[in-house]
Amino acid sequence: MAKAREIEGFADAASFAEAASLAVETRTDELFSFAEGVLDTSDIERVHDMRVASRRLRAALEIFAPCFPKSLHRKVLREVKRLADDLGERRDRDVQIAELERLSGSLSAGDRAGIGDLIKALREEQESANLVLADALERIERDDLHNRLIALVEEARR
Amino acid sequence: MKARKVKGLDPQATVEANAQRIVSVRVGELVGLGDKALDPSDEKALHDTRIAAKRLRYVLEMHTPVFGEPAARAAKQARKLQDLLGEIHDCDELLPVIRRHVERMRTEDAATVRARAGGLANDLDPELLREAPHRAHYRGLEVLDVYTRTRREVLYARFLREWRRLEREDYKSSVEEVVGL
Repeated sequence: MAKAREIEGFADAASFAEAASLAVETRTDELFSFAEGVLDTSDIERVHDMRVASRRLRAALEIFAPCFPKSLHRKVLREVKRLADDLGERRDRDVQIAELERLSGSLSAGDRAGIGDLIKALREEQESANLVLADALERIERDDLHNRLIALVEEARR
Repeated sequence: MKARKVKGLDPQATVEANAQRIVSVRVGELVGLGDKALDPSDEKALHDTRIAAKRLRYVLEMHTPVFGEPAARAAKQARKLQDLLGEIHDCDELLPVIRRHVERMRTEDAATVRARAGGLANDLDPELLREAPHRAHYRGLEVLDVYTRTRREVLYARFLREWRRLEREDYKSSVEEVVGL
């Protein structure tokens, strides 16, 4: 899992609102930096990193909520939560498949057959979750979530 | 679980003053919910405690540049709890997945055997069980069910030990102290 990026200037922020702008700006950049390759199911760390980044951004938006205009904040937070949920659905399957593969290695060939069957079913669910995630990535692009988050940051700086 | 509202936050006040209010509410929330999670079968209470630990962890991590290394240590403790509860949650999520899969196999096997028997069968020939497509898959899934259930028990016992330790060490007061309360 990627370490959280340092929020430059946070310790010296003159106000909670200034800290809010710095935190949301950094966490927004972090989230979008992990978008590449996230649909590749052969490297499950990518979706994990983006999911963690989405949770960190969500946490920043929730902690600093009073620093942003209510309506804009509510809409953006809802979209970040929705993205985090879609990333979570993919991640849950990744984790279950990895866990079953790990357990499988400790079992006899006879016991492995049933688990292999379940892994196959979970791979199908993983593919479905990946399609939902692909839609989510298109949606945030189409709805310009990145720039709307930056607009939120600008509002906190006013 | 909806987070408890933090009153009195002021965007123009200092980071420290606001963080104190948030941390105070979040650590209180965690302790209150954790006390309700002492029933191993209460999945919701365990889930809510995990979410509360996560919220406290994030607010402490966020404010580590302001409150220093003690905040990082307190966040690490909250994360440890969150991770442990996350492992328990993974077991709670996996068990119904296994059971639903077994149920689906049973339904498919029964349908296959029934179809092989034919519509006019007077009884069911046991030889037809050889035709059940999943007949060799049940035992592995039973083993997996036992493993997941037992692992959950082991992890829950670990959670209890961890929770008792936090109570003994008065985690709530130590977190409040970290932010100068």
